[in-house]
Amino acid sequence: MMGKLLTADFLKIKRKGLWLLTLIGPLGVVALQMVNYGVRKDYLLQQSEDDWGYFLLNVHSFTPLAIVLGIAILTSFIASIENETNAWKQLIALPVSKLTVYLSKFTLLAILLFFASTLLMFFTLSYGLFLELGDTVPYMELAKYSYFPAFAALPILALQLWIASVSHNQGIPITVGIFGVIFAYSSYVLPDWMIWKWPSLMNQWNEPMINVLLGVGIGILLYIIGMVDFARRDVK
Amino acid sequence: MIALLQAEWFKLRKSKMVPIILAGPMIGLFIGLSANLEDNMQGIEINEWYISLFSMNLTYALLFLPLISGVFTSLICRYEHQSGGWKQLLALPVTRGKVFVAKYILIMLLVLAMQILYLGSVFAVGMVKGYTDSFPMEIVWKSIVGGWVATLPLVALQLWMSIMFKSFAAPFAVNVIFTLPSILAVNSERIGPYYPWAQPFSMMYIGGNTDDVFFVPWEQLLTVVGGGFIVFFLGGYYYFQRKSI
Repeated sequence: MMGKLLTADFLKIKRKGLWLLTLIGPLGVVALQMVNYGVRKDYLLQQSEDDWGYFLLNVHSFTPLAIVLGIAILTSFIASIENETNAWKQLIALPVSKLTVYLSKFTLLAILLFFASTLLMFFTLSYGLFLELGDTVPYMELAKYSYFPAFAALPILALQLWIASVSHNQGIPITVGIFGVIFAYSSYVLPDWMIWKWPSLMNQWNEPMINVLLGVGIGILLYIIGMVDFARRDVK
Repeated sequence: MIALLQAEWFKLRKSKMVPIILAGPMIGLFIGLSANLEDNMQGIEINEWYISLFSMNLTYALLFLPLISGVFTSLICRYEHQSGGWKQLLALPVTRGKVFVAKYILIMLLVLAMQILYLGSVFAVGMVKGYTDSFPMEIVWKSIVGGWVATLPLVALQLWMSIMFKSFAAPFAVNVIFTLPSILAVNSERIGPYYPWAQPFSMMYIGGNTDDVFFVPWEQLLTVVGGGFIVFFLGGYYYFQRKSI
C-alpha cells in the first residue's frame, strides 16, 4: 500500500516544478559562492590556510537558509496540490489509512530533501575542484556539510508538513517558514533548543553530531504528533 | 474604485491577515531583544537607539520585508483562485486594470501599516532596554518610509506572480530565489546599488547621507526602485489584461 501511495505522490508532483526547485536550491547555494569567489577570489583565499575548509564554510553559510525556505516551499506545494482541487477527500476515500497517506507525503519530502543534499555535495565538489583549492579534497567534511544539515532539519520538515497539511490558508505555513528563516539567519544568538538553529550545525559543545541525533529524534517525535493530529481531524 | 477597494478590504479581512501583519513587529522585538551589540560598542559615541536599529534593520529589511510582502500579495488573490473567483469578480462592472490597481494599493497600505507597527517595536525595544538618549525621530522616519518605498517594485512583481500561479508556494519560491542573493549583494559596492531586492536594506540602513530625503541617492532611488516599479507593475498589469480566466 505504501509503495503504491508513494508512486501516486511522485506522479502528482510531475511537471509542477518541484524537481526543478529541488535542483535550484543546491545550485543556488553554490552559485552564490561562484559569484562570491568570482568577484574576490584572491581576498577569500588569503583569509585562511585551509582553502577547502574555508570554501566549505562559505557554502555552508547559505545551506541552512536554503533548507529552511526550501522545506517551507515544498511542503506548502505538496499540500496545495491536494487543497486546490479538494483532492484530500478523494484521497482519503480510497482504501488507505490516513496514517499511510501522511507517511507517504513525509517520505516523498524526505527523498526530495536528501536528493537536494546529494546535489549540493556534487555541486560543491565540482566548483571546489574548478577553483583548484588544493590537492587533498576533504571528502569527509564535504559529506558532513552536505548531509548533516538535512538530518538536523528533519524536525522543521515534520513541523512544516503538519502545519501545511492542516491549514486551508497556505499563508500560515509560509509565514511560519519566514519566521524559520529569520531564526536560521540569526542562529548564533538562538538557544540550543530551537530547532531552527540545528541546520547551522552550531551548538555549545561544538559537536555537529549532536544536532544530527537531535534532528532525527525530535524529527520523529514531531512527525508522530503531526500524523496523529492529521488523522484525528475531519477532512473538509 | 472606492467600492472596489472596500470589496478587496472585506475579502482580505477574512483571510487571517491580522496575525501575519503582527509578524512584523514580533520579528522586530525578537531581533531587537536578542541582539547584544551594546557590549561591543561601549566607548563609541553614538545615539543608543542606533545600536539596536543596526541589528533590527539588518534582518528585518534584508529578509523579512521582501518575503512577507509576497505573502500579502498571495493572500489578496486567494479568494479569486478558489473555485472560479476571478470569473465572479470580473463579471462585475469593473475593469481588469482597476482590479489590479486596487489590489496593489491595498497591499502597499498593508505594508505601510506593518512598517508603522515595526516602528512601534523599535520604540518598545528601546523602552525595555531603558535608553535615555533622545529618540532620533527624523532618521527612523526616513528608514520606515524609505523601506516602504523600496518595496514598491517588489510588491508589483509579487502581485504579478500571485495572479499567475494558483498556489502560495510558487510565487513564494520566485520571491525566495531573488531575495536570498541580496545577503551577498549588500556586501558588494558594485552589485548592491543595482539589485532591487537589496533596496529595502539600503533604504533602511542608518548612516548614509542624512541631508538627502532618504539614505540612498536620488539617482539610485529613481533608476533602480522607480525603474523596477515601472517594469514590474506594467508587466503585471498587461499580463492580467491578457490572462484567460
